[in-house]
Amino acid sequence: MKAGGEDLLAEVLEAFFLILAGLMIAYLVRHYIFTITVLKNHQKPKRVNTAENITFQPTISVLIPAHNEEKVVGRTIQRMTELTYPKDKLQIIIIEDASTDKTGAIADQYAAMHNHIKVIHRDRKVGGRGKASALNAGLKRAAGEIIVCFDADYYPQPDFLERITKEFVNPKVGVVQGRITVLNEPYNIVTRLVALERIGGYRIDQQARDNLGLITQFGGTAGGIRRSLLESLGGWNESILAEDTDLTLRVYLAGYKVSYLNEAESYEEAVESWQAYWKQRYRWAKGHMQCAFKHSFNVIRSKNLGLKEKIDGLLMLNVYFMPILALLLWATFIPLLILKPSPLFGAVWALLPFPLYSFVGNFAPFFEVGIGTYLDGRTRANWLIPLLIFTFLYNIPICTKAFADLLISKILGKDDNHWEKTVHSGNGNCYIGS
Amino acid sequence: MRMVPNPTSTTFFLLVLGILAFIIIMLLPALVEWKKPKDAGPRRIMGHMFFAQTEIGDMMTDAEEEHVFDKMLVDRIAGIIAFLPNLEA
Repeated sequence: MKAGGEDLLAEVLEAFFLILAGLMIAYLVRHYIFTITVLKNHQKPKRVNTAENITFQPTISVLIPAHNEEKVVGRTIQRMTELTYPKDKLQIIIIEDASTDKTGAIADQYAAMHNHIKVIHRDRKVGGRGKASALNAGLKRAAGEIIVCFDADYYPQPDFLERITKEFVNPKVGVVQGRITVLNEPYNIVTRLVALERIGGYRIDQQARDNLGLITQFGGTAGGIRRSLLESLGGWNESILAEDTDLTLRVYLAGYKVSYLNEAESYEEAVESWQAYWKQRYRWAKGHMQCAFKHSFNVIRSKNLGLKEKIDGLLMLNVYFMPILALLLWATFIPLLILKPSPLFGAVWALLPFPLYSFVGNFAPFFEVGIGTYLDGRTRANWLIPLLIFTFLYNIPICTKAFADLLISKILGKDDNHWEKTVHSGNGNCYIGS
Repeated sequence: MRMVPNPTSTTFFLLVLGILAFIIIMLLPALVEWKKPKDAGPRRIMGHMFFAQTEIGDMMTDAEEEHVFDKMLVDRIAGIIAFLPNLEA
């Protein structure tokens, strides 16, 4: 007969295990719903052109924050000069954010040649504090009704602005997000795997959220927002590392929505090493967790969100906790095999699929990426999907460290929001010259 | 005396073998595509053919790099010239 304490521990562990397994399954079901939704709707056009949205041409300010981006910023600004949107309604603002390289000089030369290009130089006293801070500096100088953001390594299609502005005809649309495609994909295995993640994230996740009327995410770049809305929300939040997710939630809580447009596309440069991948994902994970702490209760209480939006909002906000919970799920499974609190855990073979299912990096996201590449007509890229298991496993220590650091900073009452910048090399960019 | 296989160890052996086979089958195509990519590359977004010949890029080249390039070019030309008499011979 087991001791009482051991029984209690076993029952607690069992309950914990089942809750974690339930959460895993909720995310898996979500991925399947997203994928099937996109598969069912992929041939339907997003919107029918009307006289109103064809003639709608608001003034636009494009903000490009750039901190030490000399290798890519020239190409991006050059592309801005090639945009087909009327120049008299377009303002390009490059926020040179305390750079120590030639970024400022390159931007200045373009500004000298093009009247609609302006450069803001921020010295080390005020600049270099992250993207949100730079964007807020740009917002003060922006004159357009719509604020569009591009990172310094972005390369949009020429009519990107015409495409996204059509969406703003709907007064409920506060933000429009375009699609992002990895340009340096062939460079190495890291860029190839990031490209697959992006395909799943945009071609499927974002598209499905838009189709289902859920919480579509503003990615902080390759998208536009109404200036009036942005100003009423107080601009970008400089105390959160995921300023884009924070803005997304504030937009929805204010009663507006984010629209995703798969047909408005921009290239980006993906991280090229596992070290850079760690830094970027660490920032995303920590920022997302900050947003989860800040907004989860606001989402539950909001009167502007329906039930399905609330559920999706909570799942989206807490997604970076899942790698940690997967780790806990496996860790809980081992003592449960020994303690066997109920007949349920005696049946090892019946339960084995649970940890295996979560271990194999969730088959549903793999399915999602597979369908995404299929819809893009890239069936050969599918062959790499099993390698995504390694990015999933890599995300476990990344998210765990982000969570631990966040907890420590909360306990110490000292928020460490150092912005670890992604370095862009301009390497391996097929299709376009540099 | 005949050896009788232990059912427990046989099951364990088959399980390990099965898992290994599963992993190999799952990863093999990925490894093939990784080492010898046949994928056509990134999706071509509309308007990609606009070749970004930067106006500024060439103007920003480092004078020192230019000097190194010039020296390399001169050395190569000198090498070719030195080879020419041999051709005639």
